[in-house]
Amino acid sequence: MKKNIKKNLCVLRELLYLRIHGLMVFRFDFFAPFFVDGSLFLIQLLAFRVVYSNVDTIGDWGRGEMILYIGTFSLLNAISMTIYFFGVNSIPYKVRSGELDLYLSKPVSPLFRLTFENISPGSVPLIMMSICIIVYGIHMGNIKITLAGVIGYLFWIMIMAVLYYEMEVMIRSVSLYVVSMARLEQMEEACLNLCMKLPGIAFYGIYKIIFYLILPYGIMATLPVQRMTGEMNWQTAVYGTGIVFLFSVITAVLWKQGLKHYNSASS
Amino acid sequence: MDHTIIRTENLVKTYRRYKKKEGLRGSVSSLWKRDYEEKTAVNQVNLSVEKGEFIGLIGPNGAGKTTLIKMLTGIIAPTEGKIDVLGYYPNALKNAFKKQFAVVMGQKSQLFFELTVNDTLRLFKEIYEISEEDFQKNKNYFVELFGVRELMDVQVRTLSLGERMKMELIVALLHNPKILFLDEPTIGLDAVASKQIRNFLKEINREKGTTILLTSHYMEDIKALCKRTVVMTHGAKIYDGRTEELFEKYQKNKKITVSFDEPVKCIALKTFDAALMENSPYKKVYEVSRQSAKDLLTELMEFGTKDIAIEEEEIGVIVERIYQEGSDCHE
Repeated sequence: MKKNIKKNLCVLRELLYLRIHGLMVFRFDFFAPFFVDGSLFLIQLLAFRVVYSNVDTIGDWGRGEMILYIGTFSLLNAISMTIYFFGVNSIPYKVRSGELDLYLSKPVSPLFRLTFENISPGSVPLIMMSICIIVYGIHMGNIKITLAGVIGYLFWIMIMAVLYYEMEVMIRSVSLYVVSMARLEQMEEACLNLCMKLPGIAFYGIYKIIFYLILPYGIMATLPVQRMTGEMNWQTAVYGTGIVFLFSVITAVLWKQGLKHYNSASS
Repeated sequence: MDHTIIRTENLVKTYRRYKKKEGLRGSVSSLWKRDYEEKTAVNQVNLSVEKGEFIGLIGPNGAGKTTLIKMLTGIIAPTEGKIDVLGYYPNALKNAFKKQFAVVMGQKSQLFFELTVNDTLRLFKEIYEISEEDFQKNKNYFVELFGVRELMDVQVRTLSLGERMKMELIVALLHNPKILFLDEPTIGLDAVASKQIRNFLKEINREKGTTILLTSHYMEDIKALCKRTVVMTHGAKIYDGRTEELFEKYQKNKKITVSFDEPVKCIALKTFDAALMENSPYKKVYEVSRQSAKDLLTELMEFGTKDIAIEEEEIGVIVERIYQEGSDCHE
């Protein structure tokens, strides 16, 4: 176990090194994400500002909590963009083209290599910007900061980043079973767009079942905010942890079974 | 002592493929009801390979060669039958198993195109957990063997196809694999590059004792390298034996193409078993038995030939002949 972790860390270091060197070959590709991602982020913020300038509260949350929520969702999104999104996103292409063959025949987890192969340093500023929004939200909502609150918040950010990752992998694992799965990616995008604008506390009835259980995008930023504001009760904490665990199992099974289904592409 | 490192028994791989009727009506009806057909890519293949062997796997397109290699490397799972490679079931995808073999696919690259080969080698050093000492030793050995020292710090995308294939082999051999699977390694290479690659493979098999399984469309590869050849067609194994015997027995003819400076209308040949396949004033193509090829060439030289090309029979013809002989025997 310890040896395996050490090996994976060494592979991760080399992947990061190769990625940075690869990006530096083309100067435009290296610098462009810093501007493009930043610009898209600012456009998104502008859209939120327009929406929430006319809304004072959603459920029990005021503007401060809402800004904290938007910052938290942006942070999760930025973590995904920086660390794993571009790698995981390439899975359907690698399955269709048969490139996955080269990952399966190497003595390192194919998913591990795919996940960390396309780390995007250009998305790091998004993390910084998200942190600024979080700080602004805390300040605006007069949210009381405690050490336990911050540690709890970071813990929930961490496990929700795992859930975010699992959702991405799960959706792309479908490509191991069926040839075309573009619509699923569109659905993922639509759900993310909706849940980035509306916190989980806004959902009721069937929508709550959909966004808390079936496609749990609704809890991803809601739970860390609830922890920070002190609203989280133990039932919610258990539920959140359970969902992450459940989706970890489903993702692992779907991926592993998918590899058994993999037929490669004819060459 | 049993030296068998690859063993398959009645190995089968079938694919299900969707069949659609022609036109819009077919497309609409396929939304509700789909017709599938089973395609058997590998059919009841029994194979055993001993340590240190250099085996050629030949057959026409769609014969099942690549599918067999993919099952042996664990990339895909077999549908039926037994498979054992180095004591493992390949599709279990155990890292301990994957550390002991390497696979090079002529049409898929494991190099990072924007970076140098040295950069890629560093990643593979970590993936295969090679010590720094072994890494340097192996790298230097292969770099010297392939004569590519000056290319190690060059961007991969600037390398020629032949140079790139040498690099693919270095990356694959860095961890001293017990088995090397090669799927069409000389595809698209010119004669010089192909010959170089063949020489390296021969050297590696001899010096390192690496067991090599090679699929190729080129007879030259198989003839030059493999003592044993397996011929496949329609997923089944139709020949498994000595390469020399295979070509002696089944490669019966040669194709001779002659071009002339001056137009030549008709040539009355003494060589009795030469058949004229193509006839034009400046070019004639003959098919002749291997025994009579020398006589025919001597005769043709008398007509002031500009150029002569001699070609071996293609894999397809040999496969057809083996197949024919098989059915004649059954009859």
